[in-house]
Amino acid sequence: MEIFDRILSGDVIAIALFMIGLYGLIARRNIVKTIICIGVMEMGIILFFLTIHARADANPPIGDQMAQAADPIPQALMITAIVIGVAVTAVALVMFIELYHKYGTTNWKKARQMRREEN
Amino acid sequence: MLYILLLAPIAIGICFYIFSFRRVPILVLVLQSLVFFFTVYIFWRVHGMEIPLVEAIGNWGPLSIQLYCDRIVSVFLMLTALLFLGFYSFVQGKDYFDKLFIFLFATLQSLIMLIFLSADLFNIFVAVEISTVICGILIMYKHDSRSLYDGLIYLMTNIVGMLFFLLGIGLLYRQFGTLNIYQTAALMYDAQGKDVLLPFAFIMTGVGLKCALMPVFSWLPKAHGTPGAPSIVSAVLSALYVKGGIYLFLRMRNMFAPAMEMDGFFLAMGIITGMAGWIIAVSQNDIKLILAYHTISQLGLIMIGISLHGASQWGAVYHIVNHAVFKSLLFLSAGMIVDTYHTRNIYRIRGVFRTMPVVSVATLAAILGITGAPLFNGSISKYLIQSGEINTAAEIAILLINGGTILSFVKYVHIFFGKPEAPVTSTVPTVQKAVVISLGVLCLVGGIGGTAFIRSLFGYTASISPLSYIEKSLIWVGSLLLGWLLYTRVLSKWKRLHQGFAIELTFNQICACITGLFAVILAYGWILTG
Repeated sequence: MEIFDRILSGDVIAIALFMIGLYGLIARRNIVKTIICIGVMEMGIILFFLTIHARADANPPIGDQMAQAADPIPQALMITAIVIGVAVTAVALVMFIELYHKYGTTNWKKARQMRREEN
Repeated sequence: MLYILLLAPIAIGICFYIFSFRRVPILVLVLQSLVFFFTVYIFWRVHGMEIPLVEAIGNWGPLSIQLYCDRIVSVFLMLTALLFLGFYSFVQGKDYFDKLFIFLFATLQSLIMLIFLSADLFNIFVAVEISTVICGILIMYKHDSRSLYDGLIYLMTNIVGMLFFLLGIGLLYRQFGTLNIYQTAALMYDAQGKDVLLPFAFIMTGVGLKCALMPVFSWLPKAHGTPGAPSIVSAVLSALYVKGGIYLFLRMRNMFAPAMEMDGFFLAMGIITGMAGWIIAVSQNDIKLILAYHTISQLGLIMIGISLHGASQWGAVYHIVNHAVFKSLLFLSAGMIVDTYHTRNIYRIRGVFRTMPVVSVATLAAILGITGAPLFNGSISKYLIQSGEINTAAEIAILLINGGTILSFVKYVHIFFGKPEAPVTSTVPTVQKAVVISLGVLCLVGGIGGTAFIRSLFGYTASISPLSYIEKSLIWVGSLLLGWLLYTRVLSKWKRLHQGFAIELTFNQICACITGLFAVILAYGWILTG
């Protein structure tokens, strides 16, 4: 069972999620799926940050209670990262909708073709 | 005190967005001049103290975000404020210059300053990410459908790059427990190359994308050369915004240097980027795309300078300043020429010298600067880049890159001569002429007083021997003759060239290139650390 615990630890899954997202970016031509893949990569990064210095026997950095605690800095960072991620996704989706109205396609390759014809 | 500099432009932008003032143009100029004088004051403070100005925001001790301002940063801040002042005077009276544009533009200014100033890795990530979004919106500000596609590619590519950067920050934080660049650099002395290989590869992939390294450059011409974007946005992106990326590369390189150094690799990448930049630039027919590919070529040159040691690094830093000046001038004048001739095809623009003499003279100054002509600013920085710890191969490569730049500007210069196809009337406002002329004068002054400038700005005494400077000037004249012959005798007769070669990767291919760059850096580092 110990080997499972090692494999299924947060950072391994985080890197795996990142790589799955990256695979999607390379292999999928659909623009919506691209935006989703960026979201998946972001989730991987957030999970990775949250596992940093998160051990079962960690002490809180301030105060004198001996309760269980994790490093608070990555958590603070990730709140910011989530907010930025939402904003970026929103902007990307708005741009995509506008592009869809103009070109009528969700495919990167077709969009490039139409962009070229417009020149 | 430094945070005032970051807040002031945003505050100005918000005020203009919420309240409607009657004399917006004058007010913007006055407030922006105040920002510029403030940066001059900061430069003077840093200059007098001889040690960097470090400020922590909030009372959190070592945990707080630090702003770090040394001499180089203070010069970049001054440059940013000065160029934005020029852009604000240039943009007066344009139809897209409304309150939303002012807000986005002002926010972009303070974010560029934050990228230069911040000493906190996560803070830099935030600044780069938000400025990417703002640039994306500014690129498609005129709702042109070509710019929509280009803006989307730009936004997505850069977000993917910054995700690599963010994961690298996470790996570094796990190892060192700090996000401060300078604390991390101090801890690097105890680290092994193997330990920091993975964060190095992730961070350098993200930063390399921002510097438009060779396989991952294709977002840059899309963003900087897109037809629908206002010329002022192209100028900001190409002159200032990419400098944030290349300065970030310099700082990351210095941060990792004690434990992990791949200067040879990045030197080779710089040479490839510099060569590819001008080769693709020669094969374009769109005036803005030519300038955009030139930015890639010059970024390669700056990267060569950074990867070499000693005087070359100072040459690279001075070249960042110079490139900002002449590239903004080139983009602004290209915008005016396109507005007058209603075409972007370089083969159909002729006789600019007769229709717009003032703009032509200023553009000529910028062209002499970028090609490194004697007495102009590019010659000093290119001389310094060549004078560091250099081997013959790198020197030949630099000469080739410069020769190629000259060759493609021989093509560019042809727009000045001849007769226009249809009669054109130029209506360039005086203030725009004044902006380009003052930038052109800066190109000349930066060359004549080059060493004095470098000494007073960066505190570095550059040694330029007159004899080898004359030798370099003769090489320049020789390259010019060679380039002129090659273009007029061979290249201009090649009909296929007139249609232009479109080199466009799809988004999936760009992502594959990013992954490839990451894999190459990782593999090379693996071999290097054993």
